[in-house]
Parts: sequence; structure tokens; C-alpha cells
Amino acid sequence: MQRIKSLEGRLQPLLRIGPGYLLGVLALLAIVGWAAYVYVVQQLRLGLGVTGMNTPTYWGLYIVNFVFFVGLSAGGVIVASLVHAFNIEKFKSVARIAELLALSCLLLAILFITLDLGRPDRLFNLVRYGRLGSPLIWDVIVISTYLLVSMAYGYFGTRLDLVKCLKLFPSRRWLYRVLALGYIDDSPRAVARDRKILKALAVIALPLAVALHSVTAWILGLLKAKPGWHSALLGPLFVISATVSGLALVILAVAFVKRVLKLPIKEELLEDLGRLLALAIPVLGYFLFAELLTVTFAAEPTKIAIFEEMIVGKWAPIFWLDLILGLVLPLVILLKPSPRLILAGGAVAVLVLTPIAYLFPRAFPSLLSRLFPTVAILPTWVEYPLVWITILVIALLVLAHPRWAASTRVGVAAFLVVLGVLAERFNIVVPPELHPLLPYPHGVYSPTWVEYTIVAGVYALGILFFVVCSKLFPLVELEEG
Amino acid sequence: MPRWGMVIDLDKCTACQACVVACRAENTVPFAGPEESAKNRPIFWMELLAVIEGEYPRVRGQFIPRPCMHCDNPPCVQVCPVNATWKAEDGLVVQDYDRCIGCRYCMVACPYGARFFNWYRPSWPTPLPQQHNPDLSPHRLPTGGRQGPEVRPIGVVEKCTFCIHRLEKAKQRAQAEGRDVRDGDYVTACTQTCPAKAIFFGDLDDPTSQVYKLSRSRRAVRLLEELGTEPRVYYLSGG
Repeated sequence: MQRIKSLEGRLQPLLRIGPGYLLGVLALLAIVGWAAYVYVVQQLRLGLGVTGMNTPTYWGLYIVNFVFFVGLSAGGVIVASLVHAFNIEKFKSVARIAELLALSCLLLAILFITLDLGRPDRLFNLVRYGRLGSPLIWDVIVISTYLLVSMAYGYFGTRLDLVKCLKLFPSRRWLYRVLALGYIDDSPRAVARDRKILKALAVIALPLAVALHSVTAWILGLLKAKPGWHSALLGPLFVISATVSGLALVILAVAFVKRVLKLPIKEELLEDLGRLLALAIPVLGYFLFAELLTVTFAAEPTKIAIFEEMIVGKWAPIFWLDLILGLVLPLVILLKPSPRLILAGGAVAVLVLTPIAYLFPRAFPSLLSRLFPTVAILPTWVEYPLVWITILVIALLVLAHPRWAASTRVGVAAFLVVLGVLAERFNIVVPPELHPLLPYPHGVYSPTWVEYTIVAGVYALGILFFVVCSKLFPLVELEEG
Repeated sequence: MPRWGMVIDLDKCTACQACVVACRAENTVPFAGPEESAKNRPIFWMELLAVIEGEYPRVRGQFIPRPCMHCDNPPCVQVCPVNATWKAEDGLVVQDYDRCIGCRYCMVACPYGARFFNWYRPSWPTPLPQQHNPDLSPHRLPTGGRQGPEVRPIGVVEKCTFCIHRLEKAKQRAQAEGRDVRDGDYVTACTQTCPAKAIFFGDLDDPTSQVYKLSRSRRAVRLLEELGTEPRVYYLSGG
């Protein structure tokens, strides 16, 4: 009894299932059920015609999300390698959360690719007739390998705690015996062996993760038919995007576990994870800049049309959302500048931006007149500093609040980053498809309600998986790391 | 073995689209209807591309009939994860409806937009089903899969086959005569139909064949040649 009390903080969520939890699970179940119904009744029965995909937008939201979720799975391997390959023990308490996220993200990615198939009933053909020359098969191979490594990692990282739980809660004995696959030896020798295996797995997982994200990029990047994808930078870009979004998702989940499930996780740990994220974001920004400069400077006709549409055309809102709300804003929030610094930065931005916007009005399309067509239009060299920079400065003053707890501040930044990377994934996958090389009509894409419903269902399924797991085994290591 | 290929004389083409219609009838191409067509979902194994150059009043229009190019380096075959499309031994790019998983990777990889997806179950308003090509070859692909003009299942990719069912018949005829199939033994439906005789079909390797001579003419170009796909469809332009 005494032991249970000392562990109470960590085991609380295992013991108690409150009404809030039940309500949440029911809501998630409802969303998943509704999406499954829509999938069967609409897409499976009538065909992919119920989506917004067409010629030449052969790939839409499902592939965007597939790429997105493969990227999100990176967080697990980053934290795991920090703990076991680089021996930074303080991250040990979040290693299990990170690994669980990696596992669920990979499963969701596989689900998304299955949802995208015209013949999901022939999914097994990938194994039966797999053609090793196809980048898609490379991805099948590397995803399944990575999945196995993740599962092994999760198993050996959790096994000891499962044995502890088995001893603490005799009533749930069968559950922990099943989860531990019957291997319930907790002698020092077995524990040492587990550690050795974990270390080996963490070392294997690092190059494997690079392969995973590169191969996912190469599905797109090796195609000469799509100049917007055909870039050697796409592989490295996907690796760094995955690092950024994966870390952000770990932060988001840790903040959720701390704030909602009330598990004891130190605020400093979130601050540290936030620092790692702040290191990775500028690298991603640099890669994007390198690609944009190469394309715009050379102005190859096949590429420039795509990028014009992306930066100032139809998809511009998504592009700028990614850049400003998804990269710049969270970076500043993570760096935690003082209010005085934010105000000074805003003033400098106004001083620099006003003359530029005055001299190059075409580079600054008025967003206000787009949002509110009836309102008298400010000149854009006034609109940008006055409206947009002011909003940005106020947002920063609020969000980078120095007195906020790290779990709030870093969590908000991480949420913005995840959204930003989702926008980036959309802009990588969809706009390049809309520009065929031959003089076909320009492509269009607007997802249908069926697509949105199914995507929402898969998201809900992922959250459900995570939330259910939080009741099955302790999410935070029982031993103090 | 003949290297089947096509030459299309753009100076002779009148853009009448008889080839498009003939192809649809010959190959049981599914019907899309106005609603689906507006969503960019119709299927055209043979399609007329319009290239408009310049601005009014100095406009030059050109129409390009676009079948599958049956590339010698086909990007679609390179990416197919399940071997549902491949280069047959005579070099035609074939598509197995019964193996395709509908991932649409080949469509994304094709620079010519020659591949099409069955977004819905193929359907035809009455009485069109009665006009389906009865001349189906009993031949199946070596994989046992359906191909060519047979009615497609839902959710798979399809494309121009250079009328592979006609080739099969020609092969059988040649075999009965105790010889190999050769130039002139068969032509595709679009070639046969073209009222302006702008489409030529035959063996690109046979020095006596018309397509051999035309494909080596100074006017002969291929689409997106710079990509190195080595298409087997040549266009005669210039005039």
C-alpha cells in the first residue's frame, strides 16, 4: 500500500476513469464511427469519385496527411536517441510518450495510404507483387521496418513498468501479462539486457528515420513529370520538416498529458524540448528559402508558374500561414523575448516594411480588401505595418508571456508549428499537381465533405488510441529518470 | 519483333475528333456525363489537345491528338508498386486491371497525362451498353488479368493500349499463316478512322514501312522529348 501511494502521481490516470474521460472517449468514438460509416457508404461503395480528386489532381488530402503523419512520427526517434544514444537521461520520462506517438502516427499514415487506394481490397498486392524498383515499395519496406523497431522500442522501454504494475494491481494481472508478452522477469540481469537492447534500437532507429523521411520525399521528388516536386532538396527538406513537426507533436502531447491527465512532468523539460524545437525551426526556414531562391532566380517556366501560384496566387494564404504563423511566430514565442524587445522588433519591422511596401506595391497584395471587400481600402504600405504588424506584435505580447507556464507557452508554439507543417505539406503535394506539362486545362482541387469527414475520423482515431493507451500502462516512467 | 509506333501528321489533322470517338467506341471507354466532366473526370484514351499561341488577332491554334506514347522509357512503369503496368515483350505498355491497386502513382508520374482513373464504377446510359465492342479477344495478359477494351472494374487505372486486342488477332492470323506478325498486319482504331489520313501506324523498325520513313522525316518531333522518355508517337509539324 505504501508503494502505491509513492507512485500515486504517476499511476493516478491508470486507476481512475472519470466522467470527463468517458465523455471524451465517447465523443471520439462517435467521430470515428461516423467517419467509418461515411467511408463505407460513400467512398467504398461509390468510389473515389466522392472525393474532390480528379484529373490532374490525382492525389489530395489523403496523401497530404500520409506525408504529414509520416513526418510527425519523427518525434519518437528524436527523443529515444537523445535518451539512449546520447545518454541525456532527463528526457527519459517523456521517451514513452514520444514512442507511443511515433507508433500511432505511423499506423495513421498507413491508414491514410489505404484510404487513398482505389482498390483497398487489393492492398495485399503490395506484398504479393511488390516491385522493388518503385519508390512506393521502398516506402512500404522502410515503414514496416520502422514500425517493427518502434514496437520493439516501445515494448522494451515499457516492459519493466508493466511488471511493476502487474505486482501492484493483482486485479489487472492478465492485462499486464498480455502487454508484457508473458516476459515478466525483473531481475537486474533482465533489466540490464533491456537497456542494452534499447540502446541498440535507438542507434538503429536514427539512420532508419532519415531513410523513412527521405524515401517518403522521394515518392514525389524523383518524378520528372512534376517539376514542382522534382528537386534534390525535397529529401533533406522532408527530414527537417519531420524533425520540426515530430518534436512539436511530442511537446503538444507532453503538455496535454501534464495539463489534462495531470501527470507529474517537470516544466523545465518542456522548456528544454522547446529549445530543441527553436533550434530546428530556423533550419527548416533556411531549406525553404534555398528552394524558393533557386526557383525564383532561375525562373524556369515550368516551376515558376507553380511557385507564383503558391506565393502570391491561389494558395498564398496557406503559404503565408505556414511561414508566419507556423514558423516565425512560434520561433519568437519559444525564444521568449521580453515585451520591450517585442515592441522594439515591431517598430523596426514597421520602419523597414513601410518603404519596401511603398516601393514595391505589387509584392504586397491587399489582404484587407480581400477579407472585407466593402470597406474603404488602405494603401498596402499603410495596411501592412498598421494592421498586420500590429496584430503580430499583439499576438506575440500575449503568447510569449514570460509569466506563463512553459507547458502553455511552449505548447501553443508547438501547436502552431504542427499546423504550419500541415500547411507546408499541402503546398508541397497539391499545387505542383495542378500544372500539367502539356497544354491541358489548369487543375483544380477542393476537398469534399467526405474527405474532410474521413480525415477528421482518422485524427480522432489517433487521439483515441493515445488516450486509451494512457489507461493501459503508465505513460511516464515509474522510476525517476 | 515489330516496334509498333505511330506518326500523326499535324498538318493533315483537321481536329474533327473522329479518332477520339472511334477510340471510345472501340475500347469501351466509360461514359462520364456533363456533371463528372465538369469535375475533370472524363476518360480519353485518345484526346485532342488544343495549343493556342499568341493573342487575338494574331492567334495560331494547333490541335494535337494525344494517345498513350508507349514510351521506351516509361515513367509509369518505373513507379508502379505492384507490376500492374509493364512493357510487354513487343514494347507496348500494358495495364492489368485485375492487379492495379488504384494508387494513381503512374498517373502522377506520366508527363503526358495519358492515364485515367475510374473514379466511379464505369457506366453508360442506355442504349450505349449494347454498343460495347463485341470483338473482345479471349486473350488475357500473362498474369491472367483483364486488359484492353474489357469493361473495367471500379477504382483502377486505364489507358490507350494501341488496340492490343487487334494486335492479338493479327498475331493469331499471322501464326495461322506460319509467319511472324509484321507491319501492316493491323492498325489502331484511330488510324483506321481518321478521315484526313493524318494518323499512321506500323513498325518503326521496318525500313519499308511508312512510319519508318515518316518518323525519320525532318518534320518529325515527339512530345516532351527532353524528358528522355523515348515516346513511340511521332508528330509531323511545321507547315
